[in-house]
Amino acid sequence: MKGFPWVSLIAIVIGFSLGLLYAWVISPIRYIDTTPNTLRADFKDQFRIAIAASYASTHDLGRAKARLALLGDADTSQALTAQSQRMLAAGEAREDVQQVAQLATNLITGLAQFQPSATVQATVSQVTVPPLTAATAAGTNTPTVIPVESPTLESTPAIIFTPTARPTHTPVPTPGAPYVPVAQDTVCNSNLTEGLMQISVVDKHNHQIPGAEIIITWSGSEEHIFTGLKPEIANGYADYIMQAGVSYSVRVGESGTPASNLTAPSCTDSGGQTFTGGLHLIFQQP
Amino acid sequence: MPRWIPPLIAIVMGIALGLVYGWVINPVQFVDTTPNSLRADYRADYVLMIAETYHANQDAGLAARRLAIFGGDTPAAISAQALQTGQASGYAPNDIILLQELTRAMQAYQPVPTVIGGKP
Repeated sequence: MKGFPWVSLIAIVIGFSLGLLYAWVISPIRYIDTTPNTLRADFKDQFRIAIAASYASTHDLGRAKARLALLGDADTSQALTAQSQRMLAAGEAREDVQQVAQLATNLITGLAQFQPSATVQATVSQVTVPPLTAATAAGTNTPTVIPVESPTLESTPAIIFTPTARPTHTPVPTPGAPYVPVAQDTVCNSNLTEGLMQISVVDKHNHQIPGAEIIITWSGSEEHIFTGLKPEIANGYADYIMQAGVSYSVRVGESGTPASNLTAPSCTDSGGQTFTGGLHLIFQQP
Repeated sequence: MPRWIPPLIAIVMGIALGLVYGWVINPVQFVDTTPNSLRADYRADYVLMIAETYHANQDAGLAARRLAIFGGDTPAAISAQALQTGQASGYAPNDIILLQELTRAMQAYQPVPTVIGGKP
């Protein structure tokens, strides 16, 4: 292979390696001015919590939707529901969990159900959505990619905002009515856990409600459980194991109408064996 | 032509190729970014969310903790930056008022020190 430019070839390879070293290690492309959809998952969770908390204060569903859209979730209500379940499982603050679950519910139903205070309501009525850039409104929020050595926010060019049409303020509807028991069935199924109380919470349109607080009382004791922890069954589902011979009272939320005198029924299977059955309760918001 | 010229040209070409490949064809992919890399208007909108919540619950500690997501700067500085961005971006007057309220609260906020161990 006399005459082949080995030296030049080796030099090119060395140069290529040096170039790659500089481009990937010494001065890699730095992303600045990113958009929320590129955030790490835990930061997205923080954003959802902030959006839900803000929504609980302002009751502006349109603004909350616009903010959630920036996170790029395929199904925003599902993302919120899943997050509320993770937060419940992690033992996070109940208020935060309820706000996230409530926002998920209201996205599904399209209604705002928080009870606003007079002060907040007066302010909210004047609040408008902050300006979004043209890129945001058009859904083409691609991060700016600038190869720089020491990028800082201060060194970036000034942001030019293009005023866009703003969503109108979402009216604050009347708060939701307390949940009432609408159905109560005895469940005699020997395949289920004995004394299983199955509870479904739905709104007036029969949409499953995740994150609803269920209060179970008996003999001076009280237990609080939440819907949404078993999404494989239903988002508005929760269950509880009753003790035989104990009379329970169940209500959804502090102001809900209770279903009282609930006891685990006695059932008989096909073989004549007696076992403790269960109950299925449905609570609905009228 | 001196013998060292062709290798030198080859090295320069290689560097150029490496840069094109590393910066353009197959750049380092950044996913899972952090909030402090967000564009200023998104940062300001996040701070506005905190301001809206603070207006309702007046919980400066909670607001400060949520602003800490940006790291680095103090809550007061983060809030002040958002206020500047909001003013420059033509936020609605009520949003500006909310950001001003939060900024004042963060400037006055003193975190409760955590005592570790026993007596000093």
